[in-house]
Amino acid sequence: MITVEGLTKKYGSTTAVDSLSFTVTPGRVTGFLGPNGSGKSTSMRCMIGLDRMQSGSALFDGKSYRELKKPLHEVGALLDAGNAHSGRTARNHLRWLAMSNGMSPKRVDEVLELVGLTDVAKKRVGQFSLGMKQRLGIASVMLGDPKVVILDEPANGLDPEGIRWIREMLKHLASQGRSVLVSSHLLSEMALMADDLIVIGKGRLITECTVPDFIDRYAKKWVVVKSPQLDSLVSVAQSQGMHVSLGQDVAEFHGVAAATIGELAAKNNVVLHELSTQTGSLEDAFLEVTADAVQYHGNTETQSNGVAS
Amino acid sequence: MIALIRSEWLKLRTVRSNITMTCFAVVLPLAITLLTTAFIGIDSVDDATVSAVLLGSGSLSVLLFGIIGVLAITQEYSQGTIRLTLAANPRRTRVFVAKAIVLSILSAGLTAFIILVGNTAGEAILDSRGALGKLSNDDMGAAYLAMIALSVVVSLLGMAIGTLTRNPPSAVTILVLWPLLLESLIGGLLSLVINSIGFEWMPFQTGMNALRLEDSDMDFGRWGSVGYFGLWVLGLSLFAHTVFKRRDA
Repeated sequence: MITVEGLTKKYGSTTAVDSLSFTVTPGRVTGFLGPNGSGKSTSMRCMIGLDRMQSGSALFDGKSYRELKKPLHEVGALLDAGNAHSGRTARNHLRWLAMSNGMSPKRVDEVLELVGLTDVAKKRVGQFSLGMKQRLGIASVMLGDPKVVILDEPANGLDPEGIRWIREMLKHLASQGRSVLVSSHLLSEMALMADDLIVIGKGRLITECTVPDFIDRYAKKWVVVKSPQLDSLVSVAQSQGMHVSLGQDVAEFHGVAAATIGELAAKNNVVLHELSTQTGSLEDAFLEVTADAVQYHGNTETQSNGVAS
Repeated sequence: MIALIRSEWLKLRTVRSNITMTCFAVVLPLAITLLTTAFIGIDSVDDATVSAVLLGSGSLSVLLFGIIGVLAITQEYSQGTIRLTLAANPRRTRVFVAKAIVLSILSAGLTAFIILVGNTAGEAILDSRGALGKLSNDDMGAAYLAMIALSVVVSLLGMAIGTLTRNPPSAVTILVLWPLLLESLIGGLLSLVINSIGFEWMPFQTGMNALRLEDSDMDFGRWGSVGYFGLWVLGLSLFAHTVFKRRDA
């Protein structure tokens, strides 16, 4: 189990992480979400002692990372797959890591097999694609067969097969009773693999809950209606102050339950061909909940330099 | 600690640039010694010829061990592996000490090899040419030991500078310019301002004086010179270690 209490990290006068507290439970995949610059990677670095936190603590089964004698056996962390010497072979990269924590070379071959890199074990890391580096990074995480797994954007650079592999692997690791903390910008992936979510913005905790709870709480819901007498149903609804938007042959009722629409239709002898509740995706819920915490905004409109086309 | 030392040793010997630099450090003084003894005029050979050439070229070798010291730590930062190193071993003092031990053993061992091979082969070449090759100078053994000690000190100096700068080019530049330019400038200025203080207090130059054959040529004596330089490097290493411990990786 990971227990983070009041983690605070400052760079000069800028507070990157502000009194962040959360727990990661064994046997579950916990997604760590937040917009760019929200403090996810900084938090992860502080948790494993790479960066010094100003205050707070991060405990792994009650011990701080610095207290772990052979940390690779307790915590496997992949923060950046690029952290490997480009001139060293994949096997030698894993060998020095294994050796530093008293593991045998046999274990290196096992994890290379696990991530499917046995055939390229003697290739230099500099010749690897980003996806291969991610697999090598996963191999380094699995070296010590750790109880806790921490991954920062593990799906970066992976092809669809690789993304599915990592999803299945993380779910499998959690099913073995390990605590898995994973950050990702691929929200559709997160929806498929995560059980719990920790959402942060501007270094602060926004919410900590299960994925269904998060969607239920923050994603928008609306009722879709199809009917041959759609116009009359919409008129009645609007006369009662309901917010309705019209599409082609369908109407969407916002802020009202499907049962209410059903009763309204029955009362006014309106035949319904469809009456269904729609719920927004994890992405919708995430964008909704982090709207105030986004630091870097893009613009979809192109610059015209003031010249009308 | 043994596991950590083995791991650091594996790291050092599995990167091509480290192997290349190590080969340079070994081959260069040997080649200079062998070529000099093979082609030097017989008339100019005396009992100190082999040692003088070996010790002279050894100063270059010592500097190359300093560059290996630089690479041992700066590569970790430039390639990002420092994060893996410290994640695998969060007690940073142990990592720092393990690196220093590996560098010390490598520098001392290879310098001893250079001396053994260079001296034996150099004397054999001179013998085969009918020249007097055997060295009877009593200071020879001490000078050779000083060369071994200096290779360790300079490799640790390289590691300290590398730890502080984290950048291979700037660390190598500082290491090379320190004896060639910085100490000459500072020593010159000091001797102008204060008559009694001058180049004898410049640590690198004083340390390298220990490679001279005659003990009487040195202001602090052979081991005093090595010790004075060693104290400077120890101080810088302790400072680098403190920074290494406190800094975000």
